[in-house]
Amino acid sequence: MFIRIFTLLLLLWSMPSWSSAAILQQAMFKNGAKLIVEEDHSAPVAMVQIWLKVGGRDEVPGKTGLAHVFEHMMFKGSAKLAAGEYSRRIAAIGGNDNAFTSTDFTAYFETVPAAKVEEVLGLEAERFAHLALRDEDFQKEIRVIMEERRMRTDDDPNSHMFEELSAVSLRLHPYRNPVIGWMQDLKKLTIEDVRAFYQKHYIPGNVTVVVVGDVDFLQMKKRVGETFARMKAHPVEARFNPKEPEPLGAKRIEVKLPAQLPMLAITIPLPVWEPGHNDKEVAALAVATQVLAGGRSARLQRELVDEQRRAFAASAGYDPFGMGLDLWYLYGMLGPKQTTADFEQAVWALLADMATKPEPKAVLAAAKRNMIASEVFAQDSLYLRAKEIGRMEVSGIGAEHRDAWLKAIAAVTAADLQAAVGRWFTKDRSTTGILTPEVK
Amino acid sequence: MKRYLIIPMLLLFSYVHTASAVPAIQQAEMKNGLRVLLMEAHNVPMVSMQLSVVAGSRFEAAETAGTASLLATMLADHSARHDHRALAALLDADAIHLGAAASRDDLKLSLTVLKEALQPGLDAFAELLLMPGWNNERFAIFQQDSISGARKALEEPGAQAATAASRLLFGEHPYGHRSSGTEASLAAIKLKDLKKLYHTQVKPAGAVLAVSGDITMDELLPMLKHRLAGWHGAPKHRLMDIAVAPTVMGKTADISLPTSQTLVQLLRQGPARSDGAFFPAFVLNHILGGGGFGSRLMEEVREKRGLVYGVYSYFIPLAAPGSFVITLQTKADQAAEAEAVVRKVMGEMASGKVTRKQLQASKDNLSGSFAQRMDSNRERVGLISMIGLYHLPLDYLSKWTQKVDAVTLNQVKQQAARFLKPEQWNRVRVGAKLNIEASAVSAAKAH
Repeated sequence: MFIRIFTLLLLLWSMPSWSSAAILQQAMFKNGAKLIVEEDHSAPVAMVQIWLKVGGRDEVPGKTGLAHVFEHMMFKGSAKLAAGEYSRRIAAIGGNDNAFTSTDFTAYFETVPAAKVEEVLGLEAERFAHLALRDEDFQKEIRVIMEERRMRTDDDPNSHMFEELSAVSLRLHPYRNPVIGWMQDLKKLTIEDVRAFYQKHYIPGNVTVVVVGDVDFLQMKKRVGETFARMKAHPVEARFNPKEPEPLGAKRIEVKLPAQLPMLAITIPLPVWEPGHNDKEVAALAVATQVLAGGRSARLQRELVDEQRRAFAASAGYDPFGMGLDLWYLYGMLGPKQTTADFEQAVWALLADMATKPEPKAVLAAAKRNMIASEVFAQDSLYLRAKEIGRMEVSGIGAEHRDAWLKAIAAVTAADLQAAVGRWFTKDRSTTGILTPEVK
Repeated sequence: MKRYLIIPMLLLFSYVHTASAVPAIQQAEMKNGLRVLLMEAHNVPMVSMQLSVVAGSRFEAAETAGTASLLATMLADHSARHDHRALAALLDADAIHLGAAASRDDLKLSLTVLKEALQPGLDAFAELLLMPGWNNERFAIFQQDSISGARKALEEPGAQAATAASRLLFGEHPYGHRSSGTEASLAAIKLKDLKKLYHTQVKPAGAVLAVSGDITMDELLPMLKHRLAGWHGAPKHRLMDIAVAPTVMGKTADISLPTSQTLVQLLRQGPARSDGAFFPAFVLNHILGGGGFGSRLMEEVREKRGLVYGVYSYFIPLAAPGSFVITLQTKADQAAEAEAVVRKVMGEMASGKVTRKQLQASKDNLSGSFAQRMDSNRERVGLISMIGLYHLPLDYLSKWTQKVDAVTLNQVKQQAARFLKPEQWNRVRVGAKLNIEASAVSAAKAH
């Protein structure tokens, strides 16, 4: 912990030499299960996260939403624990039933008093190895998930529009499908689908146990040795990670939904970080996105919202730790007197400006400093620390590279940024989506 | 010379109930009346703080709702010394996170910085607080964009329900409008309304600066003294100068929105922050619908019947009683059934059907999850700020699990009888086809 903070602080000043690494202690077990521990004894609590290399991308056509359905079924009882009993035991320890599913991973997590970590690991291993998967539970849970979809997507015009836009932006890559699943697929899923998914994917070779907090690595190693490491090994298949074909020109969709105001969003498939291969370009894309959308001086807010009055809110986002690619996005919310055409034109003018003119030194330095400072602020939360480790691990980057990423950020020059923007932020690579309010 | 009164917290560790020993909250009071509360945390070289002043949305007129929020936005944007561009450059250069927001009772100015940037961070913080710039062009931009934002929010069932719920529960009372304002109320605001709120309410007496992070009181106080020396006075309206709103029961409001789900909210007034039975009421809510999967509502509506993704209950304890809310969303043709199940659970609990086992399960979960509530400096600052603003005892956090543990079954039953009688609640619904459901409610009640 302290060495990690120290490295981060040195990075804030873009230190020239590089020596110390974070204290991540790792253990690999024979059956493929992995353990990563970051000890922090500042408070008697710990965060336990079970990460799985299983997500939406592992679904077959017609079965979208299955990985997420499965996450729900993990709370429905196992051989030794009746439905709800897991939740009751975790609640008694002070935890909550928490989990998240993405296209790339599924993770289950608990913050508990440090003394309870071994018990939590036992409970997690029990349900992982002996899940009940009863049809009656599935029938109820699939209805719950349809309500979740209605709430999060169907009744929210902005997220509904982003779902459509993602589907049109990509042809092969699984980020084109919503993690929650298409309603048409959800209606057809069966308990047999869920059981088959379990057999195939919930195997020790897909598990990474992450513990951050007031624990002892050797004790954790012993405990995981008694639990996850005891499970029978299964061969791990390569994950679905197709190479997205190069875009052949700009794409465009219009989504008509009941809404009050229009929105315009642009997506571009961008490369993700492969340590040692594309550090310079991917870090430059991340810094460019920060200049556009991060901090007080964000150019989208400053120029398009405040000065040109082309939207009342605008932002952009990029995740360099995706698998295969990331679907970069930019959006603007339009007020009653603002038009999508004006906003769109202003966006491309801004991106062209970034490609042709170097960012001033102070702007570049501030962007980099803020990105690294965010990392220091994140060290304040056990949840965020464990999540960062798990995320880098399951996407194939490797948690041990996390400080190398910050080093790559620190090395970005104004010329790198211009080159990356010029190469990637082009109309021909983009898909534009317009939410048009429709009064029914 | 100013003098600081430092009250060291004694006896904090004399009763350590759980493993999660809570660091002491240290208090100092500045001569101008500002209370400074600090919890030290030296594991990460950063400091978070939040200043709460008694200048929330309840001090604005309903016709100009959103005034406090716009004031917060303006204060955090620029000062008389630095325009918004200069300020942005200054803050970004040192990765200083500085923001402001208004809620019902208070207006908050918050700062998160690396320890090494604390000096420039505090410089900016004090300058924004004490030297507002009142730039007309910036005001016009914020006003226009907040009007667009209010229009956009009409797409959200939750925002629509919140506006209707405030009006229904509190009417003309100062809690009767939301801090975010509406298109019409935001359009009616003038820069002079912001100035007036600032000059009458943004004062050090009754205000609280809550701090958590890598700093000691001895380091902090001289830095504050130097910067806040010119700040004096008391707000015209004090935090506790507020009447309890008249009770309403059995009222309904339906809002039409073309969604596939219906949002159903049941509402009444809950306890105030100072309520003598706060902990029993808090535990009662955890059993009812505040505790996620372990709660009665989640068990009956989701786990047993699969009717919803989520059903929750919460109350908002303010200077006076605020709302007590039960909320769920489900597809339109299931809304009546879900509501009937909720009312049945409420009725059962109100008539005393709460078991010792349920109480123990809630206590265990609350005590065990206490550490999670304090997972970061920013979360701790939120808690410390609440303790300071509402004058809760400084050992509130260290005694918290003990207080939860001391709640008896009888106390919970008393609070259930006090708060959960279904006929005392009101209802807001947002969705399509709402009148079809009205008949279905009676049908669902019949069997």
